[in-house]
Amino acid sequence: MRVLGYARRRVLFLPVGLLSVVVLAFLLVNALPGNPVGVIAGPAAGPEELAEIERRLGLDRPLWERFVDYLGGLVRGDLGSSYYTDRPILSEILRFAPATLELVILSLIVAAVLGVGLGTLGAYHKGRLADRGSRFVVTTFQSIPDFFLALLLIYLCFYLAGWAPAPVGRLGLMDEPPPAVTGALLVDSLIAGDMTVFRSAVAHSMLPVLTLGIYYSAYFARSTYASLVPALESKQVEFARACGLPERTVLAYAFRQARTPILTYGGILLAALLGGAAIIETIFSWGGFGEWAIDSILQLDMPAVQGFILAAGLGTLLAFTALDILVAVLDPRVRYD
Amino acid sequence: MTETLAADPTTVTAPKGRKPRRGRRRLRLWVPSGILAGMLAAAYLAPLPYDPAEPLPDTLAAPDGEHWMGTDKFGIDVFSRLVASAGVDIPLALAGMLISLVVGVLLGLAALHRGPWGERVVRALDVFQAFPLLVLAIALVALMGNNIENVVVAIAIINVPRFVRLVRSEGLTIRESRYVEAAHAIGATGPRVMFRHVLPNMTGIILAQASLAVAHSIVVIASLSFLGIGINAADASWGAMIQTGAQNMTTGQWWVSVFPGLAIFLTVLCFNAISDELQDSFGRARQR
Repeated sequence: MRVLGYARRRVLFLPVGLLSVVVLAFLLVNALPGNPVGVIAGPAAGPEELAEIERRLGLDRPLWERFVDYLGGLVRGDLGSSYYTDRPILSEILRFAPATLELVILSLIVAAVLGVGLGTLGAYHKGRLADRGSRFVVTTFQSIPDFFLALLLIYLCFYLAGWAPAPVGRLGLMDEPPPAVTGALLVDSLIAGDMTVFRSAVAHSMLPVLTLGIYYSAYFARSTYASLVPALESKQVEFARACGLPERTVLAYAFRQARTPILTYGGILLAALLGGAAIIETIFSWGGFGEWAIDSILQLDMPAVQGFILAAGLGTLLAFTALDILVAVLDPRVRYD
Repeated sequence: MTETLAADPTTVTAPKGRKPRRGRRRLRLWVPSGILAGMLAAAYLAPLPYDPAEPLPDTLAAPDGEHWMGTDKFGIDVFSRLVASAGVDIPLALAGMLISLVVGVLLGLAALHRGPWGERVVRALDVFQAFPLLVLAIALVALMGNNIENVVVAIAIINVPRFVRLVRSEGLTIRESRYVEAAHAIGATGPRVMFRHVLPNMTGIILAQASLAVAHSIVVIASLSFLGIGINAADASWGAMIQTGAQNMTTGQWWVSVFPGLAIFLTVLCFNAISDELQDSFGRARQR
């Protein structure tokens, strides 16, 4: 019951958090020095042209007026439209988000399995060779820039070994994409029952998922190690061992104590990856949310940047709220205040 | 009197009476530092075999005795450019970190004041830190203007929260210690207590965080220049070098991207190792 009360309070806080995200998105885009008009018009434009573009984009009005406009639009579900393509931002976000979600969720699963495995190996054999080995691997994973790792994997798995397809996107150039239902290709191709496309989609997601999985597994490994070592040295574990329980059960008990920090890391990484996968998306021409964000930022497409910050902020807010509630449910030691 | 007290509790250094271990520790601090110093010295002082910006006629030459790391698609000697890049990337990261260190430590000490604001600042920073920092850096540089100064500013901004949080969380414990109470009791002013009694007790752990921040900044700078943001494409930079060779990775000319990638890896590894070592010797029991 106390958990329910806590959950209700967290959910009630959501609108407040959302409002701060909206203000942040608006201010970051509108209050920073920068001149989108000059970039859109190009270096050759005269002062009249600049003024004309400024009027068309509504940038000549005072800040608060634009903010009220922006808020009004948000209430109607209107995030504005792109300076360049005139497409509504909301539909752009919905178009690009599924590809990224697919990538992020698969990568997180790989990272969690790999990282928790490495961390457990190190923690269980603390101070021995396996500990040093896992520590070495984790340090290596953590020190390779993710975009370099992506290129290395492309060279090794595509060029040398030929296991993976060329990094041309989510499908091969010849593949016919399945009818869009969810927007996630793996799901859509299964719904359509098209196994060739499904296999192709799996093959194309292999390298980006592996890249992000390896890179982010270091975080899981570190947090697993840090929380599992004290758990394995605790009284409960000592008692379980003294009772003669098999090591597998003892380890399971230790995990029950250690799972909260690991879960927390999972939530933080989920939020961070929503936009943090951008550079990997660019390398693999993934056509996702992050790639769209980088393109928009580089073009100074303000409504799109605003929409990105809003969506990423909202995603973070939701992920953290869900996470806190989940942790409260799983961990009776958490105080609900 | 207060000075000797200040050096004593809360921050416990390496266990006493273990000479050989301490020697090994020192080695683990000096080896990475030496490598980094060597890289910087080479970038500024060593005579390069070729001009790092001058295209040569033989493009995409494989590594051999002539070109130790081959040449890229423009015919630029990869080794020369790689060494020259160290003199751009590392100082940029260090400069950004220094600014964020000063700002972050001051803000962190300010956030130690009793009252509701300290807690609120930390909450706000939580939200800020959850945002993808690389994308934030890209946005900052793109919006403020595409040049090197703004890269440093962006690096500084995205690194400030980690120092604020660290200083605040360390300071919360130190604030409760006897010697701080004693200093207050003999009438020391607030700032004096902060700078003479609280801050000196966390320099080690701050340095560890600073080293970690540099490692992170190196990767962010490389990512930015990989995307062609911030650093002028004509200037040497590891990220831009990897970008130059990115296409060649699918056709087999690995050396253009792999050597600068390894340079970033080595640099980040060294800063991470320094940070780990400092944390081990200054920190309380925390993550490895």
